[in-house]
Amino acid sequence: MAEDLLERAPDVLEKPRAAPVETLRRADEGLRLPAVAPPTTLPLEPPLVPQVGEQTRAVGLRAQRPDSRYHGLGLTRYIDDIALPGMLYAKIKRAGISSARIKRIDVSKAEAMPGVQAVLLGREIPLNLFGTSIVDQPLLVDEIVRHAGDGVAAVAAVTEQIAQAAIDAIEVEYEPLPGVYDPLEALQPDSPKVHGGDTNIYFKKLIRRGDVEKGFAQSYRVYENRYTTPGIEHAPMEPFTSIADWDANGRLTVYASIGRITLARVDLSKTLRIPISRVRVIGTIVGGNFGGKNEIRHEPVLALLSKKAGRPVKGRFTRVEEFIASTIRHPMIMDYKTGVTKEGKILARQIRMVLDGGAYCSFSETTLGKASILAPGPYAIENIHVEGCVVYTNKTTSGSMRGFGAPQVCFAYESQMDEIARDLGIDPIELRMKNFFREGSMSATGQVLHSVKVIESLQNAARKFGWEVRS
Amino acid sequence: MKPFGYVAAKDSGHAVALLAEYGKGAKVLAGGTDLLADLKNSPHPPPDVMVDISRAADLKGIALTDAGLRIGALTTHTEIVDSPLIADTLPALAEAAVVIGAVQTRNLGTIGGNLMTCVPSMDSGPTLLALDAQVTILGPSGRRTIPLSELFVGPRRTSLGFAELLVEIVIPKKNVGKPSAFQKFGLRKGQALALVNAAAGFWGGDGVFAEPAIALGAVAPTVIRAPKAEAWLAGRPISEEAMAEAGRIAATEAKPITDFRASAEYRLDLIAVLVKRALAGAHARVTPNQKDLAS
Amino acid sequence: MNVTLTVNGELRSASVPPETTLLVLLREHFMLTGAKTGCDIGDCGACTVIVDGKAVNACLMLAAQADGRTVVTIEGLATREGLHPLQQVFEETGALQCGFCGPGVIMTAKALLDENPSPSTQEIRTALAGNLCRCTGYVKMIDGVHEAAKMLQSTETPALAAPQQR
Ligand SMILES: Cc1cc2nc3c(=O)[nH]c(=O)nc-3n(C[C@H](O)[C@H](O)[C@H](O)COP(=O)(O)OP(=O)(O)OC[C@H]3O[C@@H](n4cnc5c(N)ncnc54)[C@H](O)[C@@H]3O)c2cc1C
Ligand code: FES
Ligand code: FES
Repeated sequence: MAEDLLERAPDVLEKPRAAPVETLRRADEGLRLPAVAPPTTLPLEPPLVPQVGEQTRAVGLRAQRPDSRYHGLGLTRYIDDIALPGMLYAKIKRAGISSARIKRIDVSKAEAMPGVQAVLLGREIPLNLFGTSIVDQPLLVDEIVRHAGDGVAAVAAVTEQIAQAAIDAIEVEYEPLPGVYDPLEALQPDSPKVHGGDTNIYFKKLIRRGDVEKGFAQSYRVYENRYTTPGIEHAPMEPFTSIADWDANGRLTVYASIGRITLARVDLSKTLRIPISRVRVIGTIVGGNFGGKNEIRHEPVLALLSKKAGRPVKGRFTRVEEFIASTIRHPMIMDYKTGVTKEGKILARQIRMVLDGGAYCSFSETTLGKASILAPGPYAIENIHVEGCVVYTNKTTSGSMRGFGAPQVCFAYESQMDEIARDLGIDPIELRMKNFFREGSMSATGQVLHSVKVIESLQNAARKFGWEVRS
Repeated sequence: MKPFGYVAAKDSGHAVALLAEYGKGAKVLAGGTDLLADLKNSPHPPPDVMVDISRAADLKGIALTDAGLRIGALTTHTEIVDSPLIADTLPALAEAAVVIGAVQTRNLGTIGGNLMTCVPSMDSGPTLLALDAQVTILGPSGRRTIPLSELFVGPRRTSLGFAELLVEIVIPKKNVGKPSAFQKFGLRKGQALALVNAAAGFWGGDGVFAEPAIALGAVAPTVIRAPKAEAWLAGRPISEEAMAEAGRIAATEAKPITDFRASAEYRLDLIAVLVKRALAGAHARVTPNQKDLAS
Repeated sequence: MNVTLTVNGELRSASVPPETTLLVLLREHFMLTGAKTGCDIGDCGACTVIVDGKAVNACLMLAAQADGRTVVTIEGLATREGLHPLQQVFEETGALQCGFCGPGVIMTAKALLDENPSPSTQEIRTALAGNLCRCTGYVKMIDGVHEAAKMLQSTETPALAAPQQR
């Protein structure tokens, strides 16, 4: 192809000079002008930015973000708006099978493609594991695939198109393994074990206060309900994107749309086995995080591709990868058993919950903890028993997402409050008022609460949304 | 996207010539909203050459002709929404066009592209099928006209042959101005494909359902008519009960599938409701002597 | 292949492979990175630009299809004299949070206001249906479009001299 081009007589020689010089010169005017230079410095008042030490009133004011000028102008430089000279584009091959052993992986065709500058496999990563509590997630799978979004190989090429073609040319042979896709099934002794061993449970939490059995015995009625919530993808508008630049001085600079720069530096230094002092992470303006951009994802892979190729490497998730290869909100199954008096006072509440952690741990420990602590709801209850666990399944990893488990349990306990109110014939707001925490109440974990505003808040809200006039 | 070649056609004749020249590897590109989105995620090899018809002016336009209402294949959904002629004679088609994707999709996407994707959920299909639309096809051996129902073969399969191009859609004169309405139910109001869509039309000047027509989308391999419901309605006095019953009958004529968007049972319920609403919508457009004025 | 088009009032050319989308042409060849790649398949609207007066998804249009046309991107709205009212209102009211959807939203809203100077809330909602925002909940954007519409109609808003037609 390239030779053909060179052998061909160049156009410019063939062209008879029929047109006047002026016309010829003007023909390529559009090419000659540099790219449109946007007005980066407007002679305008800058947006309202609070000064250091200045006390600004916030409540009741229109909120103005300090970065809003650039947002509106389209000049905010998100990670994907950055291109370094000589930059390559990376793509990761996704397993596409949720539970399997890699029998053979052949990257020779990919390596031979013109434009491909580096190919990376998991075994080349110094420490091919990361995680915020249990370090169990490989950056690129070497042997056992645990969910369909697992990466198995990576490529850096001069264009995204070539990188994708190279990914398509990588051949992988899998031996399918049995998988487990339901968190309750994952609890069964005979279920396939995602990470080997004899259980899929990887964290448990128990919170006890008082004696629930006694509370149920004294209750007028006891309600037992199961609530389930699905997995939810953060779906930030900006897909995961990072640039890694491993320079000739042996220093690594990573530009990333990541919410936790320090954690990223630590993880990069660990996985790459280089001193943290050699790792610089530049956090770019995040185009939506919601908890999904709290930990590294492909950065060490990009770093090693950059090291191999000697050029900066950018990796950008497709929207599909965003769904299959990032993390999601934990799907949860929650069993609520609540005993109440005839008047609706809660005497005892027992909660059992199972969190579907997906293939790897990620932020499951934090999520289970927070969900357990908040599971009884904002209610003063003497007898509480919360028991939770999180299990591995062969699905997309569950991680941190706004609230870390709090919205799931809130859905469960508030749904049950409504069911109790309906059954007892008590106004649902009144039922809540009867049970709310008050100043000095003690939570299930023994915390004495102050500045408790929940009663006023609900009263206010009820007034504002017109509870009185409901039909 | 994977590499492909590109040629732009000046007009429909040029497009057919290019298609014939490049053969099997060529693919028509109109608004690109379906084709390009598809290519980006497709594991299949790309076409060799895109024959871009988006500049072929003779494929555009909405006009009343001797044959009926002619809509060029390249007419965008926005042009249909904005057309006074459509608003006057075929508001149901504008009802369908205005719920396709979002503004950005409607500004690029064309009615011809919509029909040619031949997905069962296409929003332009039901109204056109209910009004017995004809389509004109241009190929290397000339023009031919077939009923729209014969264009649809299966999911993503039409009866277009080698190097053929969809040129225009014609609503026969007898149905121009026929009171009709379109209904769509998606998971959101904008930017959502239909779980079920439906169109219905009838002449109602005499207080009875005359020449009733019902078409359904997303409930069978292609957009379909509901002949039993039509036959049941024909000649009956117009009433809400009859509309509801027609909806129930129409549901028996469909074979919806269960997929990630909705279950088959849910779709059956939707058919009954949407057909009833479409009939009611058409009824609201009935005026006395309408049929005589039209022909 | 060569493409030549008017971008924000100025003539631009580039030599690109045929499968290049308008979005890639703008972002990678013209360095106009205002339009964003959110989904690349027409679902999110982050790539919205105005082509011949109509809002389109730049990710679903080939650069070749834009040859000879007039394109306005977010970078073409502000002038040295001032911000476009939409930009000003969005800034003042915090209508954008992370901002990633912003260029698309503003371009769609501009195309709407160009055609319909005083849209109803429903019309604004319909127009913005193809612009997904994951941060804000849209309410302030919709209010902002109303407010910008008023500003554009009021005679007190300084005339926005700009290279391209408004
Ligand atoms: C975000 C989004 C939302 C959408 N929402 C909807 C929706 O709500 N409802 C709906 O019905 N559709 C929807 N679509 C699908 C699509 O936009 C429409 O089907 C549109 O009308 C396709 O027209 P086009 O001109 O863009 O076709 P293209 O993408 O250009 O072409 C589609 C197919 O038709 C062929 N083709 C096009 N024109 C001709 C012709 N004249 N002759 C022969 N073959 C031809 C092409 O070769 C191709 O195979 C959506 C698409 C997107 C991206
Ligand atoms: S990037 Fe074009 S619509 Fe999402
Ligand atoms: S402001 Fe973040 S997506 Fe809209």
